[in-house]
Amino acid sequence: MTDHNDPMAEIKASFFIECEELLESLQDGLQEMDEGSEDPETINVVFRAVHSIKGGAGAFGLEELVRFAHRYETVLDEVRAHRLEADSEAHKLFFAAADHLSDLVRASRDDLPMPVAESDRLLTSLEALLGDVSDEEVRPEDFEPLGVSLTLDLPDLGDLSDVEEAPEAEEPPADSWIVRFKPEAELFDTGNEPQMLIRNLCALGEATVTCDLTDLPPLESLAPETPYLSWTITLQSTCDEAEIREVFEFVDGLCELSIQRPGAALESESLPPLGPSVTAEIARPPEPTAAPTAATDPAPEPPEPAAAAAPPFPDDTAEAAPRKSKDGGAKSVVRVDLERIERLVNLVGELVINQAMLSQSLGEAGLSPHSDAMNGLEEFQRLTRDIQDSVMMIRAQPVKSLFQRMSRIVRESSAAVKKDVRLITEGESTEVDKTVIERLADPLTHMIRNSVDHGLESPEDRGKAGKPPQGTVHLTAAHRSGRVVIEVSDDGGGIDRKKVHQVAITKGLVPPDLPLSDNEIDNLLFLPGFSTASQVSSLSGRGVGMDVVKTSIQSLGGRISIHSERGRGTTFSISLPLTLAVLDGMVVNVAGETLVLPLNVVVETLSLGPEDVQMLRPGAFVVRVRGGFVPLYDLGVMLGYRPARDRHEGAIVLLISLDDGSRAALVIDAIHDQRQVVIKGLDDSFYRAPGIAAATILGDGQIALILDPADIIAAEGPLRGAELALTQGV
Amino acid sequence: MTVNMTLPARLDVAAAGQLAEDLRSRLSDTGDIVIDAGPVAHLGALCLQVLLAAATSAHAAGRGFRLIQMSDRVLEQARYMGFTPETIAEGKP
Repeated sequence: MTDHNDPMAEIKASFFIECEELLESLQDGLQEMDEGSEDPETINVVFRAVHSIKGGAGAFGLEELVRFAHRYETVLDEVRAHRLEADSEAHKLFFAAADHLSDLVRASRDDLPMPVAESDRLLTSLEALLGDVSDEEVRPEDFEPLGVSLTLDLPDLGDLSDVEEAPEAEEPPADSWIVRFKPEAELFDTGNEPQMLIRNLCALGEATVTCDLTDLPPLESLAPETPYLSWTITLQSTCDEAEIREVFEFVDGLCELSIQRPGAALESESLPPLGPSVTAEIARPPEPTAAPTAATDPAPEPPEPAAAAAPPFPDDTAEAAPRKSKDGGAKSVVRVDLERIERLVNLVGELVINQAMLSQSLGEAGLSPHSDAMNGLEEFQRLTRDIQDSVMMIRAQPVKSLFQRMSRIVRESSAAVKKDVRLITEGESTEVDKTVIERLADPLTHMIRNSVDHGLESPEDRGKAGKPPQGTVHLTAAHRSGRVVIEVSDDGGGIDRKKVHQVAITKGLVPPDLPLSDNEIDNLLFLPGFSTASQVSSLSGRGVGMDVVKTSIQSLGGRISIHSERGRGTTFSISLPLTLAVLDGMVVNVAGETLVLPLNVVVETLSLGPEDVQMLRPGAFVVRVRGGFVPLYDLGVMLGYRPARDRHEGAIVLLISLDDGSRAALVIDAIHDQRQVVIKGLDDSFYRAPGIAAATILGDGQIALILDPADIIAAEGPLRGAELALTQGV
Repeated sequence: MTVNMTLPARLDVAAAGQLAEDLRSRLSDTGDIVIDAGPVAHLGALCLQVLLAAATSAHAAGRGFRLIQMSDRVLEQARYMGFTPETIAEGKP
């Protein structure tokens, strides 16, 4: 967490948060470019993102970040100015550079060693793109030094007032500005260049640039790293002063700057009077290859809306920054320290508990359900629930950032196994609790790699199967009945069930003579130690993987399932709770203990009759449910509360649905309630008991354990699993 | 006699010291100085001022100073700073 005593550290932390947003828009822009977007604003967004990162990094002296961003930006600028035609290879390089930029941001944030060698490698490749440009540009016929858009105004030596008075003499319109700018040495140290600033200024309107050489000493006495030049830019533009200041926002304090209306120009002066100078008038838009005819055919370059993607760095952890949404409407957002939200969530949790306690005491006091107090309590409950939902909404974040990380995984893993893979994402704006998003990154990474490596066939095999050589991986997110469903699907060969079954038998994971359904064979992939890859690749195939994925998803309260069609592809589907902070639970009693089960796993409740239960062997029972048999588990026995019973007549069972679609029946003693409970994590110092997911505090102040039924049943061992498979087939 | 010199690709802040040194040594020779700017991809302000100072010093010593083969990209960079290859070579307005 940020050290609150150090304001600089806070600002720096905000910068890194800002970087995440900028990197996100960089990825978006590159994606649009790669998809063939011709919108000039797209490359502007990309350029500005890199530029803003560089600017901020410069302010914090992050030299390697500045160095890389600066040179990456130079290449992007060439694309922006239509001097460099970026093909798909160039786009790949831009993506790689964006990925590397994000590595550099992370390394800078965490004080890790900088991957300088990788920076150099990428910069060499990037600048090789520029090399092509230079070669083209030095063709003799192109070598027209100056065009009509540039006129020289060379006043006599010593004619100091010439330039200043010129605008007045011409009675400049009210929409003109005089900008004086003298860089200091630190400006260059932070990777900035006057020409870039002036270029951005020129994008605001028509500019006349005058350089002042008064301070320049002879070469013998010149200190190369001391800036001696200063510039005066007369800008014809309807922009306001703030827009001009935005151009200089990253060099604030690194230069002398004055922005004045022409009338005021002669008055207050922060710079020495202009001396011998050269002037160049730059028409807007700046035409790089300014041949005499070029000015008549300008390709309009949009003005530099620096405010859109380059907001000023926040100076507080809680800061309101306008963010422009894609349709142009401004969306106001507040950046809040996560710690404060956590505190609010905890307080609301306490409120829910308190409300439950109040409800219980009023009930025990024997008040009429129609009394004012009970009516008021009902309203109180509704409000509490609304507050809780709203607080959870604050923690919710779109999965977009997660999906962007996955697009990098696809790029890197497809390159590693030499497959051409395209990632298509859908539902990026689907919101999930922040904690869930953070913990989803690892399993999702593994699933994506798995799809690229195992799911998709090699380009040759795809050709033989009549498929396009480029494989497709779809990554989608959606809200479905109060849960978030994330799917990873590929258009590969599908699961080779025969092979999977054979491998499972060879590895002794299933008995050789046990008949398994397609669904059950697919689920063998989730068994620990399972791997069908005959060759261990650098990506996957080490036999660890899908079981770890499954465990991670389950620890998030989620479920994972597979759907595969031979020759057409495989879909992994993850279903997750919206939040990890509250749970809709069923409060039950088992052997005098109060327990909570997640409501979403409970399919129905039954009361057992004498004919419903059959014994497979001593201690192993099944229960008849609508013509099928479901294994019966006594929660009290499994949790060690009581010894096993031979008879279950009259007992209450909860029929639960497991991740793989199979079902089980849990014997309990009584059902108390269905209610929302606040999940309280168990401290790591507790022994991790199988089947116990977390705890909660009930209305009467009593602590109740929250169970994970799938975990309890899994802990029963493989024999039970086989029985389960057997009974499912009945 | 002509003294030739070829500029490196990146004339950024890191290159200014070396550029000043190279030009000082050229100035200690005799003859016109012809600078090939062909390889230059980036012209920064610190190197620009070194070139301007060198040009001024060369002219003061009665020697010629020329910049040749400047690419359009660098022309544009110079133009944003208010210069053309000719005005740089003159080192004065």
